[in-house]
Amino acid sequence: MSGLSISKRLADALFEAAYLSLITLFIAFSVIPVIVAVVLSFDARSFIGPFPPKQFSLRWYESFLADSYYRDGLVTSLILATVATLIATIAGTLAAIALSRATFRGRAALQAALLSPLVVPNVVLGFGMLIFASRLGIIDGMTRLIMGHVLITFPYVMRTTAASLVGIKASYYEAALSLGAKPWKALAQVTLPLARTGILAGAVFGFVTSFDDVGVSLFLTDAYTFTLPVAILAQMRANLDLTIAALSVVFIVATVLLIVLLDRLAGLDAIVGRGVYGR
Amino acid sequence: MTAALLWPALVIMAPLLLGPLLALGHESLKPFTSGRIGGDDAGALTLANYAQIAAPEYARYFLDTFRVGLISLAFALLLGFPMAHFIVRRAAPVTRRLLIGGLVGTLFLSIIVRIYAIAMTFGPNGPLAGFSRMLGIAPSSPDGAELMVVLGLMNTTLPLVALTLIGTLQNINPRLEEAAMSLGAPRWKTFFQVTAAMSLPGILSAGIIAYAFCISNLVVPMLVGRGSILFVSNLIYFRFSEVANFPSGAALSIVMMVLSVALFYGLLHLVRSNWQEAGK
Repeated sequence: MSGLSISKRLADALFEAAYLSLITLFIAFSVIPVIVAVVLSFDARSFIGPFPPKQFSLRWYESFLADSYYRDGLVTSLILATVATLIATIAGTLAAIALSRATFRGRAALQAALLSPLVVPNVVLGFGMLIFASRLGIIDGMTRLIMGHVLITFPYVMRTTAASLVGIKASYYEAALSLGAKPWKALAQVTLPLARTGILAGAVFGFVTSFDDVGVSLFLTDAYTFTLPVAILAQMRANLDLTIAALSVVFIVATVLLIVLLDRLAGLDAIVGRGVYGR
Repeated sequence: MTAALLWPALVIMAPLLLGPLLALGHESLKPFTSGRIGGDDAGALTLANYAQIAAPEYARYFLDTFRVGLISLAFALLLGFPMAHFIVRRAAPVTRRLLIGGLVGTLFLSIIVRIYAIAMTFGPNGPLAGFSRMLGIAPSSPDGAELMVVLGLMNTTLPLVALTLIGTLQNINPRLEEAAMSLGAPRWKTFFQVTAAMSLPGILSAGIIAYAFCISNLVVPMLVGRGSILFVSNLIYFRFSEVANFPSGAALSIVMMVLSVALFYGLLHLVRSNWQEAGK
């Protein structure tokens, strides 16, 4: 009996060790590259030498700030992500509400079709949009980019909003109707305010998807209109200096700020959800 | 009223979904004469571009895509499940919030930045340059390039897998695990035969979603594949950027799209029909 309990305890200890080392590995693998990029961004050497650097400077930040190429890319990316997210959020939120109530045949098929850009490789979407736009005679970079980015942001917005609508009872909306509210008013004053966390989360996901996209944008940029990721990619292939590391730090800081903001506004738990047995 | 709410989405999305699809389908049937940009409009429609893809030298790109994607996915699940379990069952509220913030942050951080950071960390001058040698892989060999692609893909799928699995684990009653342990089951047995077994539909769903991300990736092979690991996405991009053979790129796009959609919805259907109410 005691032999059994010793082997059980040993097995438990082994399991615990394996469990904790996998978690440690996960964290190390996610965090170490970020630290390396941050440290390298302050490297004083003009070449990429052995890690860690001995001397530090802000030269890569200066070189990044002096480069108008990145600034142009950033402006394009911000405009593009804002416009695409706005369009996708309005259309996607309304569609999510409609689909959450709809009972018509083919509802599931319509939903799958609207979510399908999630599954199709971005390169395919970008290439298809390029050929489509050229058939329509649209050669303006920004117009093409907006078309492509609405296509890829819409599913994220609709899916996130739809998930948040699950918890909102249709009976609230119906109560407003039976109390004499017009359907539009009931929607604007009951359903939308209740779903605002989901809509906000959906919009943030959409914005990030657009801002980070490479696959679609590579096909749709032109010589004058290019997004920030496309600009970085072009520079990376031209010369792998540490300006990109400085730029990475800017991205990392912006992401951390976004997460803190999202946590304040919506709560990270609201985005992940607490589930049935969540604590 | 419900129909009115759908109209904006239909008016905007129908052309954006169907237009590129039809344009790709049409382009893929055009004959191509080298030196031109795009297909020949004068020629008769042909299936030659598809026949060309069926050649064995193209199979390599498809195989590499699906194989390397599967390896990355396996490691992402291996690391992602314990992490999700830890967040749901063990982490104190502050730790939980910090870890979830980290996961969402990693998900949001630009993929180019993440892959750049991986390249700098595991590359020849990086602090973890010895990692590949530790696994017995020469860093400059094709296997070394494959390792870098696997690491890059893992970095993009890990947060996705972990966040999806958090949702799954939160819907599993912790009392069941307590019951197993109070009946004398060891921890590891409870973990595998109760927790993991009950999470299986969620694990499969998370895996399918992550796999769709892996096989459609362009940036990772482009930046760290060193030309020896190329995915179908890279091949499509080359068709556009290097040789301007639009018909061949379009045929590749159609094939890849059909494969991805069939794989995704086929597998998801399989999971959901085997486990009622599963994978939600």
